[in-house]
Amino acid sequence: MADAIVLKNLTKTFGETVAVRDLDLAVPEGALYGVIGPNGAGKTTMIRMILSILFPDRGELTVLGRGSALEAKDRIGYLPEERGLYKKMRVGELLVYLARLKGMSGQSVQRQVRTWLERVELGDCEHKRCDDLSKGMQQKVQFVAAVIHRPDLLILDEPFSGLDPVNQRVMRDIVLEEHRRGATVLFSTHIMTHAEQLCDHVVMIHRGEKVLDQTMAGIRETFDPRRILFEPLDPGADVARLAALPGVRSVVRDGAVWDLSLGETANPSAVIPAVVAAITPSRIEVRRPTLEDVFISIVTGGAAIAEDDGARLRAALRDGGGAHEVRR
Amino acid sequence: MRKMLYVAGREFTTTVMTRGFIVGMLLTPALLGLVIFIMPRMMTRAAPKIEGQVAILDPTGVVKDALSSYLSPEKFAERRAKTREEIERQAPAELRQRAPAGADAAMRQSVETALGEVPRLAVTELPPGTEIEQAKAPLKTPLPKQGGDPNARLVLVVVHRDAVVREAGKDSYGTYDLYERGKIDERLVDDIHSGLREAIVSARLKESGLNPADVRNLTTVKRPESLTVTAEGERTTNTALNMLLPAGFMLLLMMSVMTSGQYLLMTTVEEKSNRVVEVLLSAVSAMELMTGKIFGQMAVGLLVLALYAGLGLMALFSFASIGLLDPILIVYLVVFYFLAAFTYAAMMAAIGSAVNEMSEAQSLMMPAMMVVMVPWVLWLPISREPNALLAVVLSFVPPFSNFVMLLRMTSNSPPPFWQTSLSIAVGAAGVYAALWFAAKVFRVGLLMYGKPPTFGTLIRWARMS
Repeated sequence: MADAIVLKNLTKTFGETVAVRDLDLAVPEGALYGVIGPNGAGKTTMIRMILSILFPDRGELTVLGRGSALEAKDRIGYLPEERGLYKKMRVGELLVYLARLKGMSGQSVQRQVRTWLERVELGDCEHKRCDDLSKGMQQKVQFVAAVIHRPDLLILDEPFSGLDPVNQRVMRDIVLEEHRRGATVLFSTHIMTHAEQLCDHVVMIHRGEKVLDQTMAGIRETFDPRRILFEPLDPGADVARLAALPGVRSVVRDGAVWDLSLGETANPSAVIPAVVAAITPSRIEVRRPTLEDVFISIVTGGAAIAEDDGARLRAALRDGGGAHEVRR
Repeated sequence: MRKMLYVAGREFTTTVMTRGFIVGMLLTPALLGLVIFIMPRMMTRAAPKIEGQVAILDPTGVVKDALSSYLSPEKFAERRAKTREEIERQAPAELRQRAPAGADAAMRQSVETALGEVPRLAVTELPPGTEIEQAKAPLKTPLPKQGGDPNARLVLVVVHRDAVVREAGKDSYGTYDLYERGKIDERLVDDIHSGLREAIVSARLKESGLNPADVRNLTTVKRPESLTVTAEGERTTNTALNMLLPAGFMLLLMMSVMTSGQYLLMTTVEEKSNRVVEVLLSAVSAMELMTGKIFGQMAVGLLVLALYAGLGLMALFSFASIGLLDPILIVYLVVFYFLAAFTYAAMMAAIGSAVNEMSEAQSLMMPAMMVVMVPWVLWLPISREPNALLAVVLSFVPPFSNFVMLLRMTSNSPPPFWQTSLSIAVGAAGVYAALWFAAKVFRVGLLMYGKPPTFGTLIRWARMS
């Protein structure tokens, strides 16, 4: 399958600051990619370069098979991080205007606007002025502007921030629907659960550099912390003795729960029956790495962590790392 | 191109549909038109009637009769007829020729009514030896509200004893004292002064053995109407019009250019501060957005120009003076409007994209304001000497060239064609340079937030992109 977005050695500086450095990325057509990274990592700059709103100092990029997004703007939908609408304009008029700028024409535009407003539960807002809407409603209007022309590539910068859980679900369903329709979706987020729930693939940018570019399954495998969570049925049981079992490296208490760290070669499917045989559990489970763990480990572990430096990350996660501290 | 037109269309409609525009741009000409319509009707209201007494203490015995004759209703009517003739003579020949039938009579009537009914003044000589204080007393008694009391004393004149015959040993003649009541028509006092002057001078001349009529003839040189000689022929010089026409054209150009520029600045700052600009930039390129906005606002300026120029043309039509205007000047007005508006709008787009809010734009506005203010300051010297070195040089320095050249073209000695063409070419080059600079700043500035930039920052951005 062809790639919807290809970035090669993309670099952008603002004065002395390097916003994006030698960034390589390929997003296949029809994929759902999540871009994560701390504030100021360079996500928005990367997105703006993909959209030809900003131009790179160095490097090459291809968007929907074209050398520049300028040649394919009508096939791209974009929801910027900075929300903004013409305050004095009526919602319906604004959406018609933006849809026309995206190449839509004819009488159907008005109909499409109504359908989409109904879809995001703003059916009665068509004739309202934008500044009469709440912030969340304005965000939904802007979201409609990004998807109304059924783009082949949908780029969403922090699409769910500022929305209540109900509206987050509405937006998420639309994103998934667009993905199922065949659109390539690239979205940036700070909310790791969204990335985990939605994406097949996650890219992380830190200090202008790509530090992670993997499928969710790959991330779970690469960043497996090799830990088992254990809670004995008898609170007074001597759990510390489990450290003597083969494959168990250490046992650490964390409140009512015990954290069993496994050795590099230990197989959890062999260790778990041995633990159960030793002390009857009320709960036992293999600890899965969350994206948040990965994110925080990379951010707190320093910018120099390379994509393939999995062992070091694993070690950081296993040893408690930032993730553990933050969970508490 | 289609997208650029959508941007232009939105820019135009959202600007002209705002209350501020409707009130400021449409209501003002409407009010002006109303005033033009109402004024002549208001002028038909007659000035208040003047009737009363001019008391004179005349020890010379020769001034009273001459003053009495000067202030007689017949002489007043005669002088007014002369004034009216003078007004008519001042009006351009085209006006007189093209005036519709009856307009002459109507104009005469309105002049008559504006001047009011001829005053009915009785010049009463007070007996010699009358106390001045006693003679002043009637000036203090109130007049009837409607005026028209033939016995009411309006003015007291006390002629000096030596006003006509010099006293021995003195180099100069005496004069007269004039006491007037409060709230008296100044024109009447002027008339009395003129009457006294004429009466005393005539009396002195007679006393010296000279004939006043001969002296008047000897000292009068009739001032002829000057003629403007051009290749096309000769025409009467109309000094007032020669000054007003350039000023009118300049005002039209300034007003339309500044209106469109100001709105462009406002909408650009609004789009930037609203953060809507990023959505727009994902749909159109920065260049399409900027040119769309400029075209939209130029249409707004053109609407303003058409409105006010239309009003001016209407005024010329209604005074039957349309023939005074060379139609080619309208064409040049539009050409120079495009050149000036493009340049000014490009500057406004650059400034608007660079700042975060309107208040920050003020510091960057100075160079842009200069574009308009310099020709305005130089309006008088340029219209007086349209072919002086300063005017010629500024005609080739964009962006001033657009204003200066239009001023020169509407003056009474327009520049040669090659200068006009060269000025337009230079103006077009100025437009290109301004657009080039603005496009660069616009692209960088739109997404820059934070510290308000200086003019130096804008130049750095232009280099950067």
